[in-house]
Amino acid sequence: MHQTTPGIAEMSIPPKLEHAALIDAIGQLIPAVRESDVTLSRRFYDSFDWRLFLAGASLEWRFSEVAGTSDSAWSPVDARPPARPRLSWRDLRKPHAMPIEQPLESEPGLLDELPAGPVRDRLAGLLEMRRLLPMVDVISQQTPLRLLNEDEKTVVRLLIEQNRFREPNSGQHGVLLSRLRLEPVRGYAEAFEQAREVLASRLGLALLDESMAQEALVAAGHRPGQYSTKLDQTLDPDQRADLATKQILRGLLATLEANIEGACQNLDSEFLHDLRVATRRTRSALSQIKGVFPESLVVDFKARFAWLQQITGPMRDLDVYLLDFPDMERRLPTVLSADLKPLHEQLVRQHLEAQRQLARELRSPTFSQLLRDWHRFLDEPVSATETTSPDLQDSPDAPPKQALWPIKRVADQRIRKMLKRVRAEGRAITKDSPPEDLHELRKSCKKLRYLMEFFQSLYPKDRIREQIKQTKLLLDNLGRFQDTAVQAQHLREHAESSAGGETLPARTLVAMGALISQLLRDQAQARATFGEVFATFDSAENAKRFKDLFVAHAHPQGALSPSGSAIAQGESQ
Amino acid sequence: MKTLAVYSIKGGVGKTTTAVNLAFLAAAEGRRTLVWDLDPQGAASFFFRIKPQVKGGGKALLRDQGALDAAIKGTDFEGLDLLPADFSYRHLDLRLGKGDKPRQQLQRLLKPLGRDYDLLLLDCPPSISALSEGVFAVADALLVPLIPTTLSIRTLEQLDDFLREKMPKDAPQLLPFFSMVDQTKALHRSIMQGAPEQDLQILRSPIPETEEIERMGLHRMPITAYAAAEIAAASYRALWREVKFALGG
Repeated sequence: MHQTTPGIAEMSIPPKLEHAALIDAIGQLIPAVRESDVTLSRRFYDSFDWRLFLAGASLEWRFSEVAGTSDSAWSPVDARPPARPRLSWRDLRKPHAMPIEQPLESEPGLLDELPAGPVRDRLAGLLEMRRLLPMVDVISQQTPLRLLNEDEKTVVRLLIEQNRFREPNSGQHGVLLSRLRLEPVRGYAEAFEQAREVLASRLGLALLDESMAQEALVAAGHRPGQYSTKLDQTLDPDQRADLATKQILRGLLATLEANIEGACQNLDSEFLHDLRVATRRTRSALSQIKGVFPESLVVDFKARFAWLQQITGPMRDLDVYLLDFPDMERRLPTVLSADLKPLHEQLVRQHLEAQRQLARELRSPTFSQLLRDWHRFLDEPVSATETTSPDLQDSPDAPPKQALWPIKRVADQRIRKMLKRVRAEGRAITKDSPPEDLHELRKSCKKLRYLMEFFQSLYPKDRIREQIKQTKLLLDNLGRFQDTAVQAQHLREHAESSAGGETLPARTLVAMGALISQLLRDQAQARATFGEVFATFDSAENAKRFKDLFVAHAHPQGALSPSGSAIAQGESQ
Repeated sequence: MKTLAVYSIKGGVGKTTTAVNLAFLAAAEGRRTLVWDLDPQGAASFFFRIKPQVKGGGKALLRDQGALDAAIKGTDFEGLDLLPADFSYRHLDLRLGKGDKPRQQLQRLLKPLGRDYDLLLLDCPPSISALSEGVFAVADALLVPLIPTTLSIRTLEQLDDFLREKMPKDAPQLLPFFSMVDQTKALHRSIMQGAPEQDLQILRSPIPETEEIERMGLHRMPITAYAAAEIAAASYRALWREVKFALGG
């Protein structure tokens, strides 16, 4: 019964078809009025991790819209005020919906810098702390036509577009498809359908599915949606353990390297965060996937990645501090929260200095040497099976025997071992345990989680995901406890150091004191729920799921596994 | 969504030309705008070249949100839609009067439009009736065109009294302005000069009576769209600035 609004239709215009001829041909089929040409320049944005693309949206900043001179008669409908630069949001899943727009005079960046408006409202839930990065510019030469009914009323809008793209960073440029775009006018669905059919059949134009945003992104060399920090390496259970581990580490290195430039420039705080997570995972893989690489190498690289973690620490601490600041302000009564301002100013200054220091380190020869050596190690072929002959076993650089084990066996063994440790540490925690014990448990728990994530492709997907989820629930509880403790500790250190050089006013110190007591209360709450959360993790039900998933290898010294599975065959070689 | 009603008890005072021109200006600024042509004469629909016709008439609209959605038509201007007039609207009063709560009925009907529009402009028929009372209840402001005569000032005072009495707490803001002003007429000049003393808070931008505005019927589009340089167009722009300010930006 309801008249539904049809979607926008786009057709590709063959390169050999002259646009003037096309416009004539349209005019002969349907009464149409041509309006003056417009040159529209727009820049498409997304976050580094493609949050808008993955949410099915596209965002463009229409920074210049110039009416070109057209040979057509001047049409009164053109007499609009000159278009101001504006931000335009499209829901690509609802192609017929009108774009959501808001005026914006300068390039968008972080959410906090954007003025209030409908586009900002839509970005707020998606973007969080990520910066909008320019992905591709599209310059369109547009000829608008209005298709009319017998009352000379506009019933369909038609746009002929010649499009070019330019990658804003590299300057790479080229030509995109020419498009004929039909936009429905509300309440004239029938006229729209007719126009679409007539144009497709009589002019032989093919309908296009790919949005221009997507076409332009790909043309500019982007791979929308490709960046991910997920550990999704697909491993073969029979693969040699050293080879499989290198594969995992190469994935982590790719993530690490992808984030260096953004972290150096501090485009947003997530670059450094992702870089640090990749570093932590690398260190965890090096130390937890035991006995697959020569010990001397492991020791060396562990120390060098520990250095990387350490030089990136101060900046990350300040990032977190500043990201949490609005939340800290909210925790305090309004009377006190204003007193935190001097602290904020001090943090911003320290943040700036930490950023300069970090960029120096990330551009240092020490770091580039680490990357070079790490690449060389990961890319060099592993020693053949024969080198495990007894006379070479004593050499410190020789591959240990577990290097030849099938990766599945190493994975099972390591996960079971770490699970055992998590259980033991968790069970030992009582009401009177010091915070350090919970911190230790958190570290073990993280190792367990990373191991399961490294090796998830070796196990049935749903079941390993469930166990990762169970572990995350425990980690969340421990994280809340730890994070509030760290925040309180930072505030205290800040207050103490303030007594020396950079002094904070007394009222600010008072507000910080109030904040610390709040944080400690929260911490106590997280502590109070720990018992319950751990009991769920340690339940018989969860234990059975773990046990079923990670096979016990009764004779780890190379004997056959009881089932005689592929694992056993791998071992018998 | 802000709701602005262009309302007058009298006909022929420049109501529809005002509604159509302000709607165009609002849409040109990027506000998603809907005009509801409530006048069965259908003048606003005519200016937008849209048939004054709604499937099922006013009865269907009041009954069913779907009928309302389906009746809305896009105009020649982006971001500006119209809910056309229908001859059956002459009975809209009776229909609203029949329901036990005419105000709530209209409120319920218009509320979902807030998803699609930033501004709803009601072009009301000249009368005072159950429909106008419904309009008073849903409008944030009433824009009242006044031809500068003694009688229209008196009518405005009556409207003001009526609103104060009937809706002491939630009356819409009253935004009167001088319409169809002829500066050559001594009466017009004297009424307009005396207005500030009368505490009627009449907006400062008058709309002149010009041939250009009369010719809108030939062009069948807002003068602000086809003759932006005309004095009349400038007057509408000045009026719109004041109305926007009164509505809170």
